[in-house]
Amino acid sequence: MNTIQKKIWMLAIVVLVMMIAIWLTLTFYNQKVQTQYNDILQRYLEMNEITSESQQMVTDLNNYLLMPSDDTQSSLQASRERLLDVQSTVYGLRNVENEFALTNYSHLISSFIETVDRSVSFQEEGDTEASLTEFTEANRISMYISEMTLTIIDTELKTYEGFYRGIIEQSAELKKLGVWLLLLITAALLLFTYLFSLSITKPIHQLTKAANELAKGRFDQTIYVDSNDEISFLAKTFNHMRRNINDMILEIQQKAQLERELQDSKLLLQQSQLHNLQSQINPHFLFNTLNTLSKKAYLDGAEETSDLLVSVASLLRYNLKRMDRAVTLAEEEFVLRQYMEIQKARFSDRLQFFTELDSGCLNLQIPGLTLQPLIENAVIHAIEPEEDGGHIWFRIKDQQDEVWIEIEDNGKGMSSDKRQQLLEGAIVPAEGHSTGIGFANVVKRLQLFYGKEDLVAVESEIGRGTKIILKLPKVRGTTNHDQAVDSR
Amino acid sequence: MRKKVIIVLCSLCAVLGFFTLWSAEGAFRSDWQLPAAVPADEESYRLVLITQELETPFWEKVGAGAAAQAEQQGVILDVWGSYGNNREDFLKQIEIALHSKVDGVIVQGLDTEEFKVLTKEKAAFYGIPVITVANDVPVEESLRKTFVGSDHYAAGKMLAHQLVKEMGGSGQVVVLGDVEQQYSQQQRLQGVAESLAQHAEISTVYAESGKSDEEIVAATQNILNQHPTVEAFIALNANHVGPMMKEISRRAQLEPYYLYSFDDGSETASLLDQGKLDAMIQQSPEQMGEQSVELMMQWLRNEVVPLESNGYTTDIRIVKGAVAQP
Repeated sequence: MNTIQKKIWMLAIVVLVMMIAIWLTLTFYNQKVQTQYNDILQRYLEMNEITSESQQMVTDLNNYLLMPSDDTQSSLQASRERLLDVQSTVYGLRNVENEFALTNYSHLISSFIETVDRSVSFQEEGDTEASLTEFTEANRISMYISEMTLTIIDTELKTYEGFYRGIIEQSAELKKLGVWLLLLITAALLLFTYLFSLSITKPIHQLTKAANELAKGRFDQTIYVDSNDEISFLAKTFNHMRRNINDMILEIQQKAQLERELQDSKLLLQQSQLHNLQSQINPHFLFNTLNTLSKKAYLDGAEETSDLLVSVASLLRYNLKRMDRAVTLAEEEFVLRQYMEIQKARFSDRLQFFTELDSGCLNLQIPGLTLQPLIENAVIHAIEPEEDGGHIWFRIKDQQDEVWIEIEDNGKGMSSDKRQQLLEGAIVPAEGHSTGIGFANVVKRLQLFYGKEDLVAVESEIGRGTKIILKLPKVRGTTNHDQAVDSR
Repeated sequence: MRKKVIIVLCSLCAVLGFFTLWSAEGAFRSDWQLPAAVPADEESYRLVLITQELETPFWEKVGAGAAAQAEQQGVILDVWGSYGNNREDFLKQIEIALHSKVDGVIVQGLDTEEFKVLTKEKAAFYGIPVITVANDVPVEESLRKTFVGSDHYAAGKMLAHQLVKEMGGSGQVVVLGDVEQQYSQQQRLQGVAESLAQHAEISTVYAESGKSDEEIVAATQNILNQHPTVEAFIALNANHVGPMMKEISRRAQLEPYYLYSFDDGSETASLLDQGKLDAMIQQSPEQMGEQSVELMMQWLRNEVVPLESNGYTTDIRIVKGAVAQP
């Protein structure tokens, strides 16, 4: 992982390396030029030395000739040695350009030394005349040497002219290079610094933005920081925290949802119980009275009345008992039949009731008093208003995983608006219901019971009738209802 | 914004980088090369060609021929000398060359005592062979190894023949020479004189002049004054032609005069081209240079010993001037 510290170090090292590289290059280059320059200067100095040495030698020779002594001889000897020394050095300076001149020069020096030697030996032999001639000769050669030195230095200057001009040009170029280099380094440093500061501030900026989002309560957005330093670590931790908080909030919301559903079912139950209680006008008394009436009617020979009373009594008892309990479809169907008996007695031929039952489905558990209110609806809306009466079909079908319960009438039907209102529970049950339980109540209870929406379908067409289909799953989704009911 | 800044900085870096590299290329490129050193133990033959008349067309050609030959032979040759017949300087150059112990001296002969002393004594002392070129000094006086150059006697004759051919068998001819005559000039004069002597109708006037222009002009005036009927001029010293002509043309038309000379002067070639000079003897300076170096090397390498002491003559021919310009 790249730490911020590392980045700072990198920047510093880059700058340092640049500086060192430039410094080294320039120093090396300067050194090189200086060395060459010194070499050339050395040549001139050595050539100049030859002139002075040869002149010195002439002086020494003169001194010796005038006054031959050990002193003058040794000084002559010394200058001879020096001249020989310089001569060999100069001889080493030969190059392609000046080979001829320097070789000549070297030989000229040799000639000079030989002449001096001859002069000395003539002097020693006592031949002063010859010695003087040689001295004059030596003097002349010394002059030639001086002249040649000048000529050679002049040639050298010409040879190295290009070199000097090169040095001058290059120093000018170097100055330009310096300026360019300075600009380049400035620009490069600006770029590096910008990138570097960006690599630090950008993640912080991203983090700040993410924090703002969190502060606004948006916990569902992932925090991503494009970096690989400490900030990234911080961002990861921050993101982890956000996820945890988000999870917690979801959990709380779920719990609240459950709570609300529970509350709903309780309310519905209470509502139906209230309706129940309202209709319980001393129900046991009524129940007993009905039984007595039934017996009385039977004894009086009114068997039909007796049966009707039994039906009413059993319906009443069922209503009293089964409100908060799951019942089987068979029980529900039995009560329905009782109810229809009563209604048939009321409408006689106007009511035609047909049933189609799949007996394999009769053990299905459903909440109590779900079918009766629906049939009652059918009677109220399809039979009562029609003078000619109508037909009601009641079907129980096995549809693989589901049991379909269909209640169909051939009444006047309803508009799609009304159907929608019905499904949304916007229609308040009208008077005339035996139980006071409306369609919406039934639907809601079914949904709570099965823990599932979309259980009820209504098909209706004006003038053709209405068909209500309950699609009840054979396996119950949740046990909420049971628990809720059982816990009371 | 961020991208913009980065792009701007990047392009700035690229541009500056380019200029920096460009500048660095200029600053560190070393197009000056120091001359290569020569190993201390390596020494090739050193020859010197010494002339009195540096940078005249004739001697330039001699030098070029010698240099070409030297390069072929792999020896070093340098051309020394004096400008405009500066004898003192010329002799000094010879002395320096001898003191410098060059391997061979090729020199324009100078018929003076100092020159002879130098070649006879100094050169012999150092054991340096001397070859005279173009102008000879007799071997018994100079101890030169050999001579390379034109046969001046033949050249004089050839020129005289040309004169006779153009002028006809009669007339007055002025032969202008130096006060102190070189050996080569004596030979030219001899050739001219002998050739003209065969024609009885031709009278020859011999005139002398000094080296300076004034002297030449004076000599010319003198001749024209004393011999108004003169028809032809032969300048033994090619350097006399220029001033002489100027003086003649100052007095009269150049055209009627027959003017002849040799090619080893500084102006002769151009005068010939202008048609002012009627004819001149063309020597072979390149051949002289080449052959002298070749002979010197043969001597130094002991290939031909001894060299022909009478000398090796090079080709000569007559070149006629262009049609005179009015």
